[in-house]
Amino acid sequence: MKQSRAEIVAFVGGQILPHEADVRAWLRRSGSAAADIDDVIQETYCRLAALESIAHIGNGRGYFFRTARNIAIEKIRRARIVRIDCVTEIDALNVVDDEPSPERVVAGRRELGRVRRLIEELPERCRQIFTLRRIHGLSQRETAMRLGVTENVVEMQSARGLRLILRALSESEARDHSAIGEAHELHPVRKRD
Amino acid sequence: MNSIRSASEIDDEAAEWAARVDARGLDVERDPELQAWLDGDARRAGALLRAQAAISFLDRGRALAGVAPLVTADALKRPSRRALVAGAGGAMAAALVGGLGLWITRPQRLGTRLGEIRRVPLADGSLVAINTKTALDVAMKPRSRQITLREGEAWFQVAKDPDRPFVVAAGTVRVRAVGTAFSVRRADEDGASVDVMVTEGVVETWIEGDPASRRRLSAGSRVVLASAVSPQVAESPSEIERSLAWRNGEIALDGESLEQAARLFNRYNSRQILIDDPTLARERFVGLFQTNEPESFAAAVAATLGAVVSDDGRTIRIGRAHIS
Repeated sequence: MKQSRAEIVAFVGGQILPHEADVRAWLRRSGSAAADIDDVIQETYCRLAALESIAHIGNGRGYFFRTARNIAIEKIRRARIVRIDCVTEIDALNVVDDEPSPERVVAGRRELGRVRRLIEELPERCRQIFTLRRIHGLSQRETAMRLGVTENVVEMQSARGLRLILRALSESEARDHSAIGEAHELHPVRKRD
Repeated sequence: MNSIRSASEIDDEAAEWAARVDARGLDVERDPELQAWLDGDARRAGALLRAQAAISFLDRGRALAGVAPLVTADALKRPSRRALVAGAGGAMAAALVGGLGLWITRPQRLGTRLGEIRRVPLADGSLVAINTKTALDVAMKPRSRQITLREGEAWFQVAKDPDRPFVVAAGTVRVRAVGTAFSVRRADEDGASVDVMVTEGVVETWIEGDPASRRRLSAGSRVVLASAVSPQVAESPSEIERSLAWRNGEIALDGESLEQAARLFNRYNSRQILIDDPTLARERFVGLFQTNEPESFAAAVAATLGAVVSDDGRTIRIGRAHIS
């Protein structure tokens, strides 16, 4: 059964994209070059975009790792000069994709901090617009009225903010490493209201 | 190097398209201009999906982190928040400009879809956390604050206001608070039984038309009120905290049977868990999971109890391994 675009987007936003930094870090550890990593990640999203339904994907994180790994291996095999050690290194990397939750609960919480940071670090105008649109859920028109600008300005700034956020999502390696370190401290402190 | 540059150019264009789709509600599959852009390069479809997913990711962060929408109208009947905002139109913008004053007179409908968890601040300063598949009406009046829980479950953190009692109605059950925190849940099976859990302060519960049913519950107590059965009050603060793990998007299992656990997950997901074996269904389980990851639960059950999991996309079946 074909699923709606909205469902697929929501799935990718919730189950795939949050793990992008981890997949990138993992590819980097396996010795892939930065340009190759970008291509592998992009290809992974392309394959997702080609799917009619994502219902068969039980575990987004596991799927992301597996797909990226397959693409990386295909790429290496296609390359003119095959570096055997590269293939074996990727093969040897164990993807623990069915590990149950505690780690991922932490990861989920880490993501919330990340969303906040991503928005906070935008330039002032972008940040205002993202806050009204995404945090308060206003429409483009109401955001424009509220800020006394045209809808075009809101749309342009939204695109600009999104560009910066997409870049931040793929460049957040240093931060993510430190965040993984923090995860262990975070876990026992279960935040309650 | 070339590929990096063009990859990031594609990402930038995709961001523009995603922002446009989001702002104007374009249909990705039908918009001719967008389709032409997509057809120009095979990688663009992936980049657009990623950009749209980033928007969805930011929205998801909001839903989980409990930042509330300023939007407070009829959220349930409409397919999406965006459509809702568009519909509320100019009146809403005017109300925003003039502060929140206009909101308190009109009852608001708040709701969640399957698997969705929201936190919404109310006009009086109270906060409501709304669990999956829930509908409730909020009416802020000069002398009272009336909430009607139509279905599902919600947790309320009530702002103190002795002049305006805060009353939650769930069927014939009433729960009244002055300044406190508590949750009310209508059972999905019959709708007649109502589960009240108090996390702070004191609440008063009663059944409409039955003055003798009035009772006071303090923090850490839980009562299930059903019309037929006389209610039992239980003191179990830690149990309550665990039952309210959904506020963090979590399911905390501590000795529930697999059958009960499956029912919990099934409240949040269209992909239903089915325990195929009656003896397995009675096994007890401990663990902390995310509400939207039934497969993690299934995998954990498989690993610890030696069960076999099959997932056809709609149903996750957990059964015994067959010894042949």
